[in-house]
Amino acid sequence: MKKFGIVPLLALVASTSSFTIAASTTTNADELNLVCSAEQDWCDLMVAAFGAEHDDVDVLMVRKSTGETLAQIRAEAGNPKIDVWWGGTGDPHLIAAEEGLSQPSGVDTGELLGWAQNMSQISEGKTVGIYAGALGIAYNADILKKLNVEPPQCWADLEDPRFFGEIQVANPNSSGTAYTELATFVQLFGEDQAMVKLAAIGKNVNSYTKSGSAPSKAAARGETGVSIGFMHDMVNLATQGFPLKIVAPCEGTGYEVGAVSIINGAKNEDAAKKWVEFSLRADVQSRGPEVGSFQVPSNSNAKVAPESPDLASIKLIDYDFATYGSSETRKRLLARWDKEVGDPNPQ
Amino acid sequence: MKKLSLSWLMIGLVSFIFLPWHMTEDGFLDAAWIVDGLPSTGLFQMLAGQWWHLPALLTFIIGIVLQLTIPNPVVRAKATLLSSSIGLLLIAVQGLIIVRAGPRLFEMLLTGETIIAGQPGMGLGAGLVALSLLFVITTSIAQSGKGQGDAFVIGAIGLIVSLVGIFVFYPVMHILIQAFQVEGGYALGEFFPKFFSADIWGLSCLVGNHTCGVAINSLFLAVMTGAGTTFLGLSFALIFTRTNFRAKKLLRILTVLPIITPPFVIGLALILLFGRAGTVTEFVAELLNIEPGRWVYGFWGVYFAQLLSFTPIAFLVLIGVVQGVSPSMEEASQTLDADRWQTFRYVSLPLMRPGLANAFLLGFIESLADFGNPLVLGSGYSVLSTEIFFAIVGSVADPAKAAILAIALLTLTLSAFMAQRLWLGKKSYATITGKADSGQNASLNPVLRTICYATALPWAALTLVVYSMIIFGSFVKLWGYNHSFTWDHYIRAFGIDFASGRFSGVAWDSYFTTLTISSIAAPLTALVGLATAYLLVRQKFVGKNAFEFSTMLSFAIPGTVIGVSYIMAFNFPPIELTGTSIILIIVFVFRNMPVGVRGGIAAMSQLDKSLDEASITLGANSFTTVKRVILPLMGPAILAALTYSFVRAITSVSAVIFLVSAKHNMATSFIVGRVENGEFGLAIAYSAVLIITMLAAILILQLLVGARKLRRTDRVQQTVSA
Amino acid sequence: MTNTTIGSVRFDNVVKKYGAVTALKKLDLSVEPGKLVTLLGPSGCGKTTTLRLIAGLEMATEGSIHIGGEDVTHLTATYRKVSMVFQSYALFPHMTVRENVAYGLTVKSVPKAEAAEKAENGLELVGLKGFGDRLPSELSGGQQQRVAVARAIVLEPEVLLLDEPLSNLDAKLRRHVREEIRQIQQRLGLTAVYVTHDQEEAMAVSDNIIVMRNAEIAQQGSPHDLYEKPNSEFIADFIGDANLAPCEISNYAKDEATIVLNDKKLKVPYAGTQTGAAKLVLRPHHLKLAEPSKQGFEGEITYAAYLGKEIQYTIDTEMGELFVVSSVVSNPFAIGNRVSVQWDNAHTRLVTS
Repeated sequence: MKKFGIVPLLALVASTSSFTIAASTTTNADELNLVCSAEQDWCDLMVAAFGAEHDDVDVLMVRKSTGETLAQIRAEAGNPKIDVWWGGTGDPHLIAAEEGLSQPSGVDTGELLGWAQNMSQISEGKTVGIYAGALGIAYNADILKKLNVEPPQCWADLEDPRFFGEIQVANPNSSGTAYTELATFVQLFGEDQAMVKLAAIGKNVNSYTKSGSAPSKAAARGETGVSIGFMHDMVNLATQGFPLKIVAPCEGTGYEVGAVSIINGAKNEDAAKKWVEFSLRADVQSRGPEVGSFQVPSNSNAKVAPESPDLASIKLIDYDFATYGSSETRKRLLARWDKEVGDPNPQ
Repeated sequence: MKKLSLSWLMIGLVSFIFLPWHMTEDGFLDAAWIVDGLPSTGLFQMLAGQWWHLPALLTFIIGIVLQLTIPNPVVRAKATLLSSSIGLLLIAVQGLIIVRAGPRLFEMLLTGETIIAGQPGMGLGAGLVALSLLFVITTSIAQSGKGQGDAFVIGAIGLIVSLVGIFVFYPVMHILIQAFQVEGGYALGEFFPKFFSADIWGLSCLVGNHTCGVAINSLFLAVMTGAGTTFLGLSFALIFTRTNFRAKKLLRILTVLPIITPPFVIGLALILLFGRAGTVTEFVAELLNIEPGRWVYGFWGVYFAQLLSFTPIAFLVLIGVVQGVSPSMEEASQTLDADRWQTFRYVSLPLMRPGLANAFLLGFIESLADFGNPLVLGSGYSVLSTEIFFAIVGSVADPAKAAILAIALLTLTLSAFMAQRLWLGKKSYATITGKADSGQNASLNPVLRTICYATALPWAALTLVVYSMIIFGSFVKLWGYNHSFTWDHYIRAFGIDFASGRFSGVAWDSYFTTLTISSIAAPLTALVGLATAYLLVRQKFVGKNAFEFSTMLSFAIPGTVIGVSYIMAFNFPPIELTGTSIILIIVFVFRNMPVGVRGGIAAMSQLDKSLDEASITLGANSFTTVKRVILPLMGPAILAALTYSFVRAITSVSAVIFLVSAKHNMATSFIVGRVENGEFGLAIAYSAVLIITMLAAILILQLLVGARKLRRTDRVQQTVSA
Repeated sequence: MTNTTIGSVRFDNVVKKYGAVTALKKLDLSVEPGKLVTLLGPSGCGKTTTLRLIAGLEMATEGSIHIGGEDVTHLTATYRKVSMVFQSYALFPHMTVRENVAYGLTVKSVPKAEAAEKAENGLELVGLKGFGDRLPSELSGGQQQRVAVARAIVLEPEVLLLDEPLSNLDAKLRRHVREEIRQIQQRLGLTAVYVTHDQEEAMAVSDNIIVMRNAEIAQQGSPHDLYEKPNSEFIADFIGDANLAPCEISNYAKDEATIVLNDKKLKVPYAGTQTGAAKLVLRPHHLKLAEPSKQGFEGEITYAAYLGKEIQYTIDTEMGELFVVSSVVSNPFAIGNRVSVQWDNAHTRLVTS
């Protein structure tokens, strides 16, 4: 019995020491919890650049995809552990704004291009555009040459049987990229016609991938001949050395707007605002190409890299983010897609 | 026992008076209040107006008074049990109701400035108060009941049940309840049509050119994988035990590699080998002059990758069983004029049934839960694990769908458990009787041997190729296109700036975090797992079956579900853990615990129960018995549990993605990010380093086992010669 | 607590159930201090359960258990002053012989030196002095058995429990070790409870035997009483060899009954008060064989085995087969011979079923 009484004491010591290891949950006044949904290298560059200017703010950055981030801030709603969410396609940012998960940053959007200001207006200032990336077609030059197939120039070309089994595109149910494509088709051709065209392309599709960037990667490696995706991803792959050629479709194309949002209830609001202001500055936005990020910056004064797809030369549609970003439209379009296009790849 | 209850009560009281009740912004352990005089202990908080802490204080005072005044031990215990249970309940209730934003329920009743101000999550003080009350309760149960009134055993049961309750059931409920969610509320009626929809259970792929339900896809894949890995594992086990194959050591290493490989890596390697532009595909296409195909995307690719990944698990289960088949039974069969085939077919194989069933079950469950391979290779072949993931993070988030799919997945897993139990029935498969068995296992008959070689060796060759490719891929500039040698990937990931002494590589942070967290989680996992095994094998208590089942639950739930449910449950008071490393450690401990439990049960079953009983009748209590008799005899099982939980903590991905934070990023989530970016070289270089790290860890642990054996034989030899 | 109760064991109405299965029905039992009592019975009779209840390894479902006059019903094994020798010896394989023997002392925080000394004494007592540094695996079965005994007795328990301690030893060793155990028990004046299914072993070592059957006590008493005065067919058959001849009790007087056995009337000792069907217990060595005559019962020898000091016969008679052990080894009967089987009625016993 005498000995047994020691157990509780041991437990006390053990629990105390285990708590010490793990201590420290969050936030001092000079911390900034950042989730970055852009490419890792760009995230690193931004954090380093911000840190160089603001040595009073300690940026804690983790990279997560937009879907994961949205799921996390939803689950954390009311007591967020994230202060600011930078990068990643705009749709999830807009959904977060719509669901009240983010808060207006109150930054000056005067220098920004129209589409970036538009983003801010739709969301009542809760999310601001930081870059744009046009949707495009990529093809593996080696493969098409080997197959002796003429490269595509337009969306309509993709319906041609010469691409049978050579097109890869993501599934809009899981990928924001593919949803942008769906919305672009609807805006280009009207809803009914869009479904007909998508179904026709679908006959040539070998696989609807889960992730939006997978098709272009597959095209780069020759796993598929043609892919649909964002041009900046394609540029990145091409600069790595893959035989990837990029096409801006002749009918015109849609685009995504990468965004930045401050999470509602952020514990470090001031630092978060500093981050948003910083990320909208022309000199900061000009630095993307240093790390292979070729999106078009939203600040009108920022320099555009020569490799970047020149938005001026691309026929861009007037993408209606308000309509096609809303959950309602999204659900309706996806339901139609499931029914009329669907995944033709039964196993 | 009176002393024990009193000392726990005192610890609780001291914690209440002197330790910070709530978690502060700086974490659990904030010593600032001592210096700056801001009282944050339970007592001070209570005096400062948070009246709802009063029950905690009263419980301890009443408990101590009861201990000192009531002479009859049974009455004292019952009274203490009652008061402490009420106290613990009230503490839990106040924690659940009063959160940061004030009261969640009974807003009408709970008014006043302090209560509206709310409270943060529970901290060290509250934790110790709850823990001490829990042990006061278990000690009182031990004292008041008729049963084997061992305070240690009941305390251990109470602790594990509470931990499983808090860290498995409580979070999982958060997400499963969403299956019943409809707009603006909950409804039971909506659940069944959704659950039984054709999207999940449809069989239309059997009759026409349509896709089957996602659960049917998963089920088909899991059955195939379970059967395939069991078959391959058995072939390997037979080669190891029943043939004179020369390169057994090399085979052995090959069977370990896939276990310590981070997810995605095997899938990527398969694409580079067997994809349409893969090395092997192009070679074969040129040779036979056929069009290169895309078969690797979809069912066959996933199946192939899962066979590569999970065969080692089946092998590890089966080698023990195959070795365990008593040679004398095989010899008996042979003396009864059975030939080698008949002996194998009618004696050895039936005796391996439990092993085969276990191997199949593990393969089945691993396949159901596998997330990385279907994601990389699945293409149009949808399975539950990826569908659940995209129901949560996809472009239309549908938590209700995720919950329903998770329930479908659980249904499959549990059915497999049931089927296994039914199949094994109550027959005895005991082959190790404790008597020395000096006979020899029958060697395989030639046909069987050929079959084993023909299945296992190609697998081994393929594994070898895949891993060579991985090493190769980490040293070339652009895998698949530019094969010029480079150190770049390693330098980027693990570079060290010698001038400044800084670790300049991008992977260092997550690498160190991963190692730290895995090293903390592994021993805790082993501890909880083995303690649970001890209770299951050696102790009798009410509700043992339910207890066993609940400890297996977290293994069967997909990681994504666990990850999201952890955020939902532990982002808010009373238990606020998100963003800390604790939540990562906890998720590893409770996800990998079943492995420790299974290993522990197997090892403990081999220890004769009379050893414990001897110790107990010699006056040792259960605690001493565990410490001095059971633990020393379980060395190998402990090391196995340690190794496996360490490896699993390093390689798990799906649960972790949601729980990592800037301060605590894990290697796998880092790798996934790089794969998403198409930076295969860096991802694979990092994976190679992780594989080598884990190999080193395994070797060190194995050396420890070896050292232990050596010392023993040394001793034997000495005394024999003396 | 007086000196006379130290080491006594008492069960009052003890019931043990495992779920729906009753392992012990209302058991009353008492063991006097300093005696060696054997629990004897076929497997599944509840003898091991009884032993484990004394040890505290099982808890009584109903009733109470006293050891040394103290109520221990709710006390676990750890806190009871009993120690046990297991059928499998249960020696800790990772400890040396000395560590094994000293284990019970060290867990009770006896100082190391004292524990080592006591362990050495214990080993000496069982004749294993100098084996302290070996591992159990380096000892023979008999030696391991003695280590197990030493480990149990160094704790100076009030009651020593032995669960089939000899079942893993060969026949010769078994006799030797059981004598040693009996000697040690008597020398130390220990109370011991011994479980076995071997009636010869039980007869050889016990002060008292408790025969159990179907979860209850069938009969208890000294070895002599059980052999000579079985109270049931089961006991008669179980303790030693017995021929059981079916008969009819026609009437009874004081200490005597008149029975009809194959049309013959016999007067045999009887203490009961029942008439009707019964069995006459005839011990094999009480039966005598003679040339056929009017005396006794006639039969034919169907089997004969010569064992040196005795001859065992099987004889087919009108009342069934009889087993006879004859110490007359000169001039044996041959198979096929007709003989007359005779006995002294005073050596018979009637059992009713």
